[in-house]
Amino acid sequence: MKKIVSFQTYLPLLYGLGSTALLLGAWWSVSLLTNNEIPTPLMTWAVFSEMLSTPFYDYGPNDKGIGNQLISSLLRVFSGFGAGSLLAIPLGLLIGSSKIAFRLINPIVQILRPVSPLAWFPLGLLAFKAAEGATVFIIFVTSLWPTLINTAFGVASIPQDHKNVAKAFGFSRWKYITKVILPFALPHIITGLRLSIGVAWMVIVAGEMLSGGVGIGFFVWDSWNALSLEKILSAILIIGTVGLLLDKGFDWLQKRFVFS
Amino acid sequence: MTTHPITAPIDSASEFHKIQSRPASIEVKDITVSFKTPKGVFTAIKNIDLTIKKGEIVALIGHSGCGKSTLMGTISGMTTPTAGNVIANGSLVKGPGPDRGIVFQNYSLLPWLTVYKNIFEAVDSVFKDKTASEKREIVEENLKMVNLWAHKDKLPGQLSGGMKQRVAIARAFAINPSILLLDEPFGALDALTKGSMHIELLKLWNLDNRNKTIVMVTHDIEEAIFLSDRVVVMNNGPEATIKEIVDVPLARPRNKKEIVHDPEYIKIHDRLMGLLFDKFSIEDE
Repeated sequence: MKKIVSFQTYLPLLYGLGSTALLLGAWWSVSLLTNNEIPTPLMTWAVFSEMLSTPFYDYGPNDKGIGNQLISSLLRVFSGFGAGSLLAIPLGLLIGSSKIAFRLINPIVQILRPVSPLAWFPLGLLAFKAAEGATVFIIFVTSLWPTLINTAFGVASIPQDHKNVAKAFGFSRWKYITKVILPFALPHIITGLRLSIGVAWMVIVAGEMLSGGVGIGFFVWDSWNALSLEKILSAILIIGTVGLLLDKGFDWLQKRFVFS
Repeated sequence: MTTHPITAPIDSASEFHKIQSRPASIEVKDITVSFKTPKGVFTAIKNIDLTIKKGEIVALIGHSGCGKSTLMGTISGMTTPTAGNVIANGSLVKGPGPDRGIVFQNYSLLPWLTVYKNIFEAVDSVFKDKTASEKREIVEENLKMVNLWAHKDKLPGQLSGGMKQRVAIARAFAINPSILLLDEPFGALDALTKGSMHIELLKLWNLDNRNKTIVMVTHDIEEAIFLSDRVVVMNNGPEATIKEIVDVPLARPRNKKEIVHDPEYIKIHDRLMGLLFDKFSIEDE
């Protein structure tokens, strides 16, 4: 019995090692098949650890440490995401609680939602006269939809029971919003935010390839121009890790606001 | 007849008749409720007249879907009648109001608020002119009345069904309504909890000098007889009407254990059974 217990305890670790081995194995085979045109994990690791050893150097506009790149990308993502959420949550509350608002706004959402956020880039340039503003703008647009839709869905699915309480005891509109609508919709809103930040983090890479300057997306493109595939692969690993951490953060937040 | 003044507790069967000389608390006048459904208009209840006196406990009983909850809805103001009107405490019912406290079938507590907060928000909404400390006092008093003060900081999800129902009852009492409307309040509780809830409810009613009018929807015959002064038996819907109103002239306070042997109780029980299961056919049930 004791043996089984200890085996169970190490199971997650074993699976973790297994999937790492799987990834490295696949990577290595591709490297072998392409005659190291795609660098091996070991070659990448050499560059990766060098990048991580001095993350915050700044040798002019085209040569900055990976830490600087990451921070500027994260700043853009969070400012665009923040602004987008500030618009999406109240609008979602409105659409979810009013049939008229839903019927007026939903068609617009449905038309705009499938548009690649990058298509907004020129409009951003026009509006802000700068690539920086345009990049934040596309993140803003990206962050709108999942939050908007999830918030509206959350509000629209408030059980009749909860509405009855507000009606029977004569809750004011403000009390209804703060004590019934918001607490009920909160888990849905956080789900929306979680999806939004996920998409935003994906879009920022493409956005920065367009905008140039500084940022993790620009770093990938710049490394391609410098023909350093090791740097590109390192950047991919970093982008993936940061994305995972962002998702876990919102997952943690979500679990804190679940009601039975 | 006795010479007791009207303010004395109504403790005997003869006192029962005095209720009828009290002022009306609820007057249901020729109420019809129809709903639009995809299949056409569905009339749940039709041409219902019912007068309930102040301090009276009345049970609405009938089979599932007979419209008893709909009738209750028109009194609480949650349902707007298609025709007819309801007068509560002398004024026309246009919607829910603080003179009528509602206890819902499924407790309807807000799951993200603590027991205390659930009651406080209702009190806060109804007594807008009271100070914060007065409101807190009301909440405390009512929570202590149902013995839940120790659980005030718990969330509804952490309570048993009976405790949740006590919170819902405390919430309804806290706004001090003259009319208490209970929609199958004990339907989801086990028999033992149900029994103690009946006694608890009557205790609260007694504490308030039996001044509150209580209307209760139920499909439990024993519950209806034990609690009420009159039992309103409804026909099966659609277009449900009142089949018969059965008086329950049993002395109060009533004893749960002894009452079942009372010949009067047995007579009423048989009468209600006959009214509810009059088809003498197994297939129909």
